[in-house]
Parts: sequence; structure tokens; C-alpha cells
Amino acid sequence: MSVLDLPSNRAEAWRWADLGGLAAAAALEPVARADAAPYFLDLPGARLLFVDGVLDEGASDLGSVTLAQLAAGDHPLGRRAGGLGWLLRLDGQAVTDPVQVVHVATGRENHLAAEIVLGEDAAAQVVETYVGAGWSNRATRVELARSARLMRAVRFLQGAGFVSVRDEAAVGQGASLVTTFLGAGHAGSRIDGQIVVGEGGYAEVGGALLTAGEQKQECAVRVRHAEPNGQSHQLWRAVAADRSVASLAAAVEVARHAQKTDGEQSLRGLLLQRTATVNLKPELEIFADDVKCAHGATVGELDARALFYMQSRGIPKPRAQAMLTRAFVADSIERIGNEAVREAFAADADAWLEAVL
Amino acid sequence: MLKIDNLHAEIDGKAILKGLSLEVNPGEIHAIMGPNGAGKSTLGYVLGGRPGYEVTAGSVTFDGQDLLEMAANERAAAGLFLGFQYPVEIPGVSNVQFLREALNAQRATRDEKPLSGGEFLKLARAQAAALEMDAEMLKRPVNVGFSGGEKKRNEMVQMGVIDPKFAILDETDSGLDIDALRIVGDGINRIMRKPDKAVLLITHYQRLLDYVKPDFVHVLADGRITRTGGAELAHELEREGYTQVAA
Repeated sequence: MSVLDLPSNRAEAWRWADLGGLAAAAALEPVARADAAPYFLDLPGARLLFVDGVLDEGASDLGSVTLAQLAAGDHPLGRRAGGLGWLLRLDGQAVTDPVQVVHVATGRENHLAAEIVLGEDAAAQVVETYVGAGWSNRATRVELARSARLMRAVRFLQGAGFVSVRDEAAVGQGASLVTTFLGAGHAGSRIDGQIVVGEGGYAEVGGALLTAGEQKQECAVRVRHAEPNGQSHQLWRAVAADRSVASLAAAVEVARHAQKTDGEQSLRGLLLQRTATVNLKPELEIFADDVKCAHGATVGELDARALFYMQSRGIPKPRAQAMLTRAFVADSIERIGNEAVREAFAADADAWLEAVL
Repeated sequence: MLKIDNLHAEIDGKAILKGLSLEVNPGEIHAIMGPNGAGKSTLGYVLGGRPGYEVTAGSVTFDGQDLLEMAANERAAAGLFLGFQYPVEIPGVSNVQFLREALNAQRATRDEKPLSGGEFLKLARAQAAALEMDAEMLKRPVNVGFSGGEKKRNEMVQMGVIDPKFAILDETDSGLDIDALRIVGDGINRIMRKPDKAVLLITHYQRLLDYVKPDFVHVLADGRITRTGGAELAHELEREGYTQVAA
């Protein structure tokens, strides 16, 4: 399969996808391997280091993770990632320390599949970090049995290239899946997700995409409530500087018998310069009649009155802009439950602001 | 301390200040009164350095420095404080974070050491207590969900923490009930009534002047000062109205 077999922007789900950027990333010349050590947080639990999609065994501690042949689905990008991947499978009631995965890319393209399968009442946390350059493509399948709980935090810190992730998740009865993304590097990205929520299940998916220069980042996530009494929250924030483009497409689908579904969508964009672009597409497809679905979508600039107010108190303009922008993205990151992870992500967002403003 | 000479300023090409001159010395409290639309708030914003207000002629010096050449945050660091008629709400930024950042930015500009978290909190709590503001409110986002009176009180807490040399207070009395007016008035006296400090009170009504006695009262009409007097001028204005007195 070559990069030429990419979907077309004419298809609605790929309308804002930077397919050219993806092909360009795959052609990036090899670069020196980045040191992964700073990207592992000081947490107990398994540590996995993948270099160009291949496990560096010497630098990894697998814990309860195994390597396995994983099938990929039929998603146009995700299907490329089938083959040997990492698998976290927990039996009922099992609880594990956070699993940290650092993906280092050194140019060209790399593909990797993952599966997270949690038994009844099992609980896990997974933190993933992407660094380096090239096209990193991932397909992750999540399966949560009754009352299982998974918290995932994923950050894109690649200096160049493109990161594409395809997530397919099934949230079982009363189970809970919380996924937070942070795009704070210089690479393009596409977050592609399909989450199916079962009876009384809970799904949160969201995060912040921070773009600058000529960068393009986007999310295209669909939450489907297949059974009654489910809850979902999609809270996305996009901050775009220079001539960059951030696109947020979030859909909620409520099946005919999925009564009492509570779905919330909040998509907000902030333009740091008028040359930047934020695209928003909230989508609701509701076939049940007794549901609560709230949605909001806004794009704006920093509040000039607030900027002057802060300056009049002595805060220099760039710092005032950073504080207001940070406040804008704060609630998307604050959803991360683990304090160390939350602080690391907040520090990445701060570093991005520091560099851009 | 502050010297305004023949100041002309406009917004969107519309002239608002038309040759305003005023001198304020250390230890003095000046009140600027005038009808709506006379240019009172514009004067405050021009002195504070708000973007969009264009000075077309005249000069302003503050302690001998050209104020108009300085960025808004540099004016603050030089000791100028602008109390807002409509304090701005800033969701997601707490009062503590905002004020500590402001104070330490000013201190950095003046080559002073930053205050530690503990030192700062002690100072902020003391100022909140003096203005009868619940210290819990310091943890809340800046002015978000505050009543009109609470916002004005918060302006005074900020002034107390920052401890400026010169304060321009724009309609600080609006939106205050009689108790809050006394608390705010006491605050202005406590923080600013000092031999090395000065205040410019911009107000529409004389009621705040019952608590903060001005040394000079100026009438601002159509972009310039048309009359100057002592505290008694405020009462005359209250009795007879602006049209009579300002003419």
C-alpha cells in the first residue's frame, strides 16, 4: 500500500484532512533518534518505547503488556497498522499502574496497532507520547467490559511530520472511557475516532489542538449511543496561530432505542491571528425521542478588553495573551485524572504558548 | 507628579479631548466631574494606554517621563493604577494568579525580587480583609460572577496589593450601595491618602466625595476643563447641574 492510496478530500469525513501533509511526512528524510527519557513521567507501571513502530526491548518494561499479532479494521489509515502490536489485556477486577508508551519516529513512515481489552470492573490508565519526525500512524482498539474503566491521555509532540491515530472503542455496560488528546508539537495530525457506548456507559473524548506556522491538525470523532442511559462528553479546544488550520469535527449519534442518552458537545476555537483558520463541525444525529443533547460551537479571538485590563495591572502583553489562551484550553486538559499526567500536559501546553506568543 | 498639557485625543477619528490641561502634585486628590460624554472615561483610558485612543496633540508626563510613549504595563510598573468603571471578567484566571502575576511583573520591571506564594497570599488576604471581601473570593476567576459592588471592591483590593503612586479611579462609586461606598471610600483614603501619592477621581456624582475629600474639583465639558475649584464646587454642581456651572 502506498501513500497514494489515501482517501479523498471530497469525502465529507476527510474534508479537512491534510492528506498532502501526510504524504510529505512519509517522505521525510531520516533524522537522529530523539532521547525518549524526558517523555517518560515519574510514575510506577509499564514503560514501552517504540522506535519507528518497533519495540525497543532494552528500554522497555512491559509489565502486563504483551506483543501480539493484531488485526486492523478497514479504516483507510488504520488498516495499514495491522501486524505485530502491543496488547494490554486485564482480567476482571484487575487494576494496573499507568502504562506509558513513547513513540519515537526518525523519518519516513511507521505503523503500529494496539489493543486495550479490560475485563469486568478492571481499571487502567494509558499515557502515550509522540516525538520525532516522519509519519506515525496508529490503530488502537479498545474494548471495555461491564463497569471497566480506562483513562487515556495522548500527546502529540513530534517536531515535524504527521501523526494519525485511529481509535475504535466499545464501551460496555456501565463502563467508562475518558480520552484526552493534546496536540502541542509542530507536526500535522488527524485524530479519527469511533466510540460505541453501551447501556449506561460513559465516554469522554476531547482535548486541545494547538497549531502554529503552516501546521494542520484535526479531529474527526464520532460517538454512537447504541443503548439507553449512556452519557458522553466531547470537549475540544483549538488554538490557531499564524497561517495554521485546526479543524474539529465531532458527531453524536443516538440510536432509536437509546433513550435517556445524555450527550454534550463543546467545540471552541481561538484565533491568535486572523490569518489562521479554525473549522468546527458539531453533528447530532438523534433517532431516539427522550434524550438530552447539548452542543455549542464558537470561534473567536482573545478578548481585547481583558488584554488591556491585564496590561493595565502591569502584565506584559505576551504574558497576558498566554494567560488568556491557557485559560481557554484549561478545561480540556483538566479532565485528565492523574495529577502527574495532567501537570505534564499542562507544561507542554505552556511551552507551546511560550514559544508561539 | 502628573502633568497633562493641551491634550487632544480621538477615537475612530472623532475628537473627544480638545485641549485638556491639568497638573497633579504629590499629596493631592483631584476630582474630575462632568456630564456624560464630556470625555471623562476617555481621559482615564488615554492615561492608562488603552489601544484605539489616539493622541493627536499635547503631552503627558508622569514623574518627568513621557507617559504616552510607554506601553500600558510599563505605565503600571511606573506606579500608575487605572481603576475601571467596568472591571473585566476573566474566566479561567483566578484573582490570586492574576494579581500575583501583575505584582511580580511590575516588580520585575523595577528590578525588584518577586514575592513568594506565601508572601503574596498574606498581602492579598490582608487587603481583602480591609475591604471586607471574603478571602475565598480571591480563589475565584477574576470578577466572574461578582456583583457590581464586588467588582469595585475587587478593584480596591488590587489597588491595595499593587500599592501604586498614582491612581486614576473611573466611576469607582457607580454600582455601590451606601455601605460599600463607605468601605471603598475608606479604602481609597487608607491606600492613597499619603504625602507621596496622588489620586484622580473621575466621577459623575459628588457622593463619593463625601468620603474622599478632594483638594481640587475640575469640571470637564466638551473635552476640556472649564472650571476648577475646591471641594465646594462639587456641591455647587450637585445643586445647580452641569449646564449651569460648566458654562
